[in-house]
Amino acid sequence: MKHLLALAGLLAAGPAFAHVTLETQSAPVGSTYKAVLRVPHGCKGAATTKIRVRIPEGVIAVKPMPKSGWTLETVKGKYDKSYDYYGTPTSEGVKEVVWSGGRLLDEHYDEFVLRGYLTRDLKADTTLYVPVVQECEGGAVERWIEIPAAGKVADDYKFPAPGVKLTPAK
Amino acid sequence: MPSWFRRPILSLLVLLACLGMPTLALAHAALNSAAPADGSVLAAAPGRIELVFSEPVSPLALRLVGPDGAARTLDRFVLKDSTLVISPPAGLANGTYTLSWRVVSEDGHPVGGALVFSIGAPGGRAPATDEPIDRSVRLLVWLSRLGLYLGLFLGCGAAASRAWLGPLTAGAGRFATAMAVLGLASLPVALGAQGLDALGASVGAFAQPAVWKAAAATSYVWTVVLAAAALAAALAGRWLPGKAAAGAGAASVLLAGLALASSGHASAAQPQWLMRPAVFLHGSMIAAWAGALVPLAFALRGQAGGGALRRFSGGIAPVVALLLLSGTVLALVQVGTPAALLATAYGRVLLAKLFLVALAFLLAGFNRWRLTQRAEAGDRPAARLMRQVIAVELAVLVAVFGTAALWRFTPPPRAIAAAQAQPASVHIHTLQAMADVTVSPGRAGPVAVDVVLMDGAFGPLPARELGISFSNPAAGIEPIERRAQRGADGVWRVDDLTLPVPGRWEVELEILISDFEMRRIRDSVVIRP
Repeated sequence: MKHLLALAGLLAAGPAFAHVTLETQSAPVGSTYKAVLRVPHGCKGAATTKIRVRIPEGVIAVKPMPKSGWTLETVKGKYDKSYDYYGTPTSEGVKEVVWSGGRLLDEHYDEFVLRGYLTRDLKADTTLYVPVVQECEGGAVERWIEIPAAGKVADDYKFPAPGVKLTPAK
Repeated sequence: MPSWFRRPILSLLVLLACLGMPTLALAHAALNSAAPADGSVLAAAPGRIELVFSEPVSPLALRLVGPDGAARTLDRFVLKDSTLVISPPAGLANGTYTLSWRVVSEDGHPVGGALVFSIGAPGGRAPATDEPIDRSVRLLVWLSRLGLYLGLFLGCGAAASRAWLGPLTAGAGRFATAMAVLGLASLPVALGAQGLDALGASVGAFAQPAVWKAAAATSYVWTVVLAAAALAAALAGRWLPGKAAAGAGAASVLLAGLALASSGHASAAQPQWLMRPAVFLHGSMIAAWAGALVPLAFALRGQAGGGALRRFSGGIAPVVALLLLSGTVLALVQVGTPAALLATAYGRVLLAKLFLVALAFLLAGFNRWRLTQRAEAGDRPAARLMRQVIAVELAVLVAVFGTAALWRFTPPPRAIAAAQAQPASVHIHTLQAMADVTVSPGRAGPVAVDVVLMDGAFGPLPARELGISFSNPAAGIEPIERRAQRGADGVWRVDDLTLPVPGRWEVELEILISDFEMRRIRDSVVIRP
């Protein structure tokens, strides 16, 4: 027990494993990224019925992967500016992806997948956060939407948004 | 899996996590449910406390803070899958308890929280213990007050009776002088005792200059100066010719009323235009009534008795009416609610005093309606009985003065209520958001929290939801979390919160702006005992 406590103390500043996370933890800008969102839990024991993903600015050409048993919808809108997508100026597209109508029990695990292009306007050596709202049976909601302030890490927050570390373009 | 087996594996997992194994996808533990539930009120002490987490955990610290604010560590618990079952100590008294938990889950990340439940009824926090009482200083304060009351009421009152009942007999004159001298002798003692009490010093420090400086800084010094003038006027009457002596006596009673109205918690109460005149009237009328009794008793011994008695019974009605009227006003303002009569020390002193006063009025009524007519007609046995009843009445009145002098040590319910209701507040100022957080009352126990949210430029901040958490790291209490409700006036409010101990509490606000945007701001607020 004592050992565990000591280790636990050591680990307080260790790696972050938040609830909803991205499987691939780093990706270069100027490339297409396959985002696998891992959902390990319901909301306080209640089954998950809806996953909403906010597409961060600078991520374009988003295509979510349909999922059996779930209804897939997207919300489209204008980007803040026009982005270059392999030579094509792109100023609007998917801003939110919603999987709904399914039932993922608390004791089960599932993944939700989408792909998108990480434009070169995104800054390398920063973390790109993808806010996710998890809705559950009985009206329960868990919002994985907290974006760490400068000098903080996701572990400092109770509801950190899943993030991917951006690396320089290849 | 038995726990002895799980632990090495857990350690290994934790170690791997430490090495940054990228494939590990563990999660922080979260509390899914608790029994008793957070904020619940139980009929009896719980036999067990169950915390159900989202995954298996090991407790790091479990503390139970009781209604008296004392914390104890809970070390009897059983882990069953992801449920932590705690056996609370036996014999928990009624009141509100806070269970603060801190656990570590397989990802090695400690998480904490707190659970508040009440046995019987919420609250029940024992009143904060007063600072230690120096009984000898209190006795000195009380005795000197009583001496002063005797001087002002009986000495000045007897002097004033010349203006009402006629010249004093030799015995009554000696009594008036003795009482006035007693009052004068009590003055320096009362002032010194006031200084000792103000500094919290012991009787041994009586001669120290600091004690007298402290006393001089209180309003009580005005009472002492005016009382000295009143007693001096009463004494002077002894050597003055008839009319002048009566005038000096009447003046001494008015000065006595002024002396009493210039300090004390009744005089300091609002509204001032009502309270100070009420204290003045009450004090002067007590002196007029009580002071006249001894001269009357002496007069009843001799031939002048019939005349003095006639003048006394002719004038006593308005004196008693003013006494009762001013006394009623003072009691209503000071006590506030009927419940405070029994619930506070001040109220109980008032009840005791009212009982004694009623006794004095019974005796006075017996004299007035049974004996006065016969005594005025020259019935000697009736006059003798009346003198005896007056002696008893006087003894009862001295007991009344002694009871009233106890008020010096009991803050009135009005003042207690005002001090306790005082809120604690903090203004949280960040670039992303600002908040005015008000905790009322600002003391440990059940509280309500009001939050006014603003954006970084003092504009309105349209929030969808607001979560508030209070934690007290110094007392080892993990965050107590509550969801605020938005009122019609735009103020967010939490009603079902109990802060179990005083001290510095960390306040954290979790402001949900939209589905995907949250702002988190924090600061601290000091909660009084």
